[in-house]
Amino acid sequence: MVFNSYTFVVFFIIVLILHNLPFSWRQKKIHLLLASYIFYAAWNPPFILLLWLSTVVDFFVGRALYTQTNIHKKRLLLVVSLIGNLGMLCFFKYGTFLLENFVSVLNLLGVNYHPAKPNIILPAGISFYTFTTLCYTIDMFKKKSEPVRSLLDFSLFVTFFPHLVAGPIVRPPQLVPQFESPRKATKQQLMEGLFLLSLGLFMKVVLADSMLAGSADAIFSSQGKLGALDAWMGVLAFSGQIFFDFAGYSTCAIGAALCLGFILPLNFRFPYAAVGFSDFWRRWHITLSAWLRDYLYIPLGGNRKGLFRTYMNLMITMLLGGLWHGANWTFVVWGGLHGLYLWAEKLFTDRKEMRRSPDLHEKSPITAMAEPLKAGISLSARNKLAYALLTFLLINITWVFFRSPTFSGAGNMLQSMFGMVQGATPLLTTIAIIKVSVIVVVMLIAHWLMRNTTILDVIRRLPWWVTGLSWSLMLILLILSQESSSSFIYFQF
Amino acid sequence: MPANNLRKAAILALVSVVLVIGSWELYLRSKGVAISYDNGKELWADKRAMVYEPADKATVFIGSSRIKFDLDIDTWQQTTGRHAIQLAIEGSSPVPVLTDLGNDPNFRGRLVVDVIEPIFFSSAPFNLERPTTNIDWYKKRTPAQRASFVLNHALESWFVFLDQDKYSLNAGLGRLNVPNRPDVYEFPAFPDDFNCSDFSRQSKMTQKFVADTSLQHRVQNVWLFVMDMAKKAPPPKGNPVPPILAVVKEAVSKIRSRGGDVVFLRPPSSGTMGAVEQHVFTRDKFWDPLLAATSSKGIYFTDYPATSHFTCPEWSHLTPQDAVKYTQALITELPPTFTR
Repeated sequence: MVFNSYTFVVFFIIVLILHNLPFSWRQKKIHLLLASYIFYAAWNPPFILLLWLSTVVDFFVGRALYTQTNIHKKRLLLVVSLIGNLGMLCFFKYGTFLLENFVSVLNLLGVNYHPAKPNIILPAGISFYTFTTLCYTIDMFKKKSEPVRSLLDFSLFVTFFPHLVAGPIVRPPQLVPQFESPRKATKQQLMEGLFLLSLGLFMKVVLADSMLAGSADAIFSSQGKLGALDAWMGVLAFSGQIFFDFAGYSTCAIGAALCLGFILPLNFRFPYAAVGFSDFWRRWHITLSAWLRDYLYIPLGGNRKGLFRTYMNLMITMLLGGLWHGANWTFVVWGGLHGLYLWAEKLFTDRKEMRRSPDLHEKSPITAMAEPLKAGISLSARNKLAYALLTFLLINITWVFFRSPTFSGAGNMLQSMFGMVQGATPLLTTIAIIKVSVIVVVMLIAHWLMRNTTILDVIRRLPWWVTGLSWSLMLILLILSQESSSSFIYFQF
Repeated sequence: MPANNLRKAAILALVSVVLVIGSWELYLRSKGVAISYDNGKELWADKRAMVYEPADKATVFIGSSRIKFDLDIDTWQQTTGRHAIQLAIEGSSPVPVLTDLGNDPNFRGRLVVDVIEPIFFSSAPFNLERPTTNIDWYKKRTPAQRASFVLNHALESWFVFLDQDKYSLNAGLGRLNVPNRPDVYEFPAFPDDFNCSDFSRQSKMTQKFVADTSLQHRVQNVWLFVMDMAKKAPPPKGNPVPPILAVVKEAVSKIRSRGGDVVFLRPPSSGTMGAVEQHVFTRDKFWDPLLAATSSKGIYFTDYPATSHFTCPEWSHLTPQDAVKYTQALITELPPTFTR
């Protein structure tokens, strides 16, 4: 089930009513769990078995990991959990990709091997719930937190419908304690939750689907030669589309949970106002970058094993982060480009800090992700804005690899963007160019102005009638856009 | 903002939404706008799921836009007592749908295939895109999407403003007619009053359109644009007719082997479009080989007095009044197994 569908509206009203009836807390949790299973099964019923398998295995393995004292048995249990979770992810998400690459290597070696193409359907949200359950078992192995006492609470932690399919990726300490005592949204939370739900749907349906997706799709699927204006408009449209699509989902998720009285972590913080790339990763898909930092970069050694290893660990993290987004080498290159940007930024900041501080090896862009916003490069206000625009420009280059299905497509797009294509026929209509330009410019201004705050802080400060009119404008445009319930881009990851 | 203020904001938002959307709905109704259904993949899939009705209860129609205008479903159902399942798709080849039905072991029904030669005998991607998308949607639609379709149907039955092609945000922006850069390709828009679509997927010209020749000229200009585009298009690599005939023959054979049957239909066209079609797509090169390859009955509109006299106001489709007459004539010419 997607948030931007009539089915979800009816589903959510029923869930909200039942959650506020005078049932016991345990009954309410069972109701939320069943609702979450219905939410998931409404997409593809058979895949709910995978979700159950992952939940049950990780609950018992997690508990055993915490209580086991024999280090060998403990490691064996961790391996079981890793194989179970990552094996499932590899089969469903990377099975076809691995086979294709295996066949390519064999063909390169002169072996004539052409197996039938497997028809594997990707279960919705598998990348997200795998990371959710993985962090639990790893935490249990390291005894970083207490094991969840009841299977009901653990199942609800894994399956809770607002975050299940596309995040935010939650950690047990963020959500499990909220299931331990009765919760009901306060009036304030309910209203703020409904506002966030409306905002998230507006971002997804009006801005991403109705205003930007058409231009991005037209440009990236074009077979002809593209001029620089069209190419840039297509890439900018995609920059806006992917932000509004994914941040829209996260906003809906946070809003839906808040309506029920639960608080999910923030996933986006006006990322296109980022001053530099480490700042970008503190603002874009925050729960994923924090996950990669804690469960990949730091276990690899982080910045504790010398400068060379720090750079290598950083690149490995970004490459695997890229691969997490999709089973295609273009995603790996997307991650690699971000890795290169982070390298360049680290070199620059290290040299700058070397003059001031001798302990430069203690910091890396990725560890800076965990730090408050004060981290980053100290620049004057004007230089800060210029660097933010440069960051946005370079991030647009990375989106070319993210959106293009092939390297030749990405290469053609980059050539078009930099005016290296002659004889192109103009493609986008004037109205499409106006839509993209206006939305992207307004988006950048809004991100810049709100870079140090949150949406809820803003509406708490505004006069009630301004909030009311903005809210009504969003809802009216949402109704008038009449977009069908298309999937969120991040569902395919 | 305290909860009380946020509640006031929510009430203001709710009242504004009801006022604005309500006024818009009333305005459109006052202009005589009628209920119309989004003729997208969801509605198509809903009808596609009906093809398994027993062969003595239903007849399936596939093709392009002509059969959607020219078959009056009420007349068909009242006269024959059989359900007409409309699966034709505007501007699209019926061949992918025919192939899909041929490959479906559960389809054993009666099938009428509308043939517009320039589309039927084309393998250009844009003629195949919508059928392919619709078939894919039908096969992969989820329980949640089916439920959303049911809810959407209920809402579309209530509100005339719910018409994506005419009254959505993008349709409104498109209506601004902002001039484009030279050489930008943009398909000309049909007038809003051209037609509306009902839940059985029948398209009907509005009475305003039938009465207004300037609107009819606008649609004729769209067809002139399409014909000009076709003229400028690079010629296909090789003759596309034999491979298409082979695919069609195979699908028809499969349907017949399961007890089903197929008839081909060439609905009326007139004016410049009719003349060009009959001049370029001559019967001896297209229609006759199609019937011969599939050993099928064909109903070509000029062969029957009851169907040869129609004039299409915009050259390609019949008025609602003529659609009733054409449907009655069609019922008498189709084999009895299709109509009884």
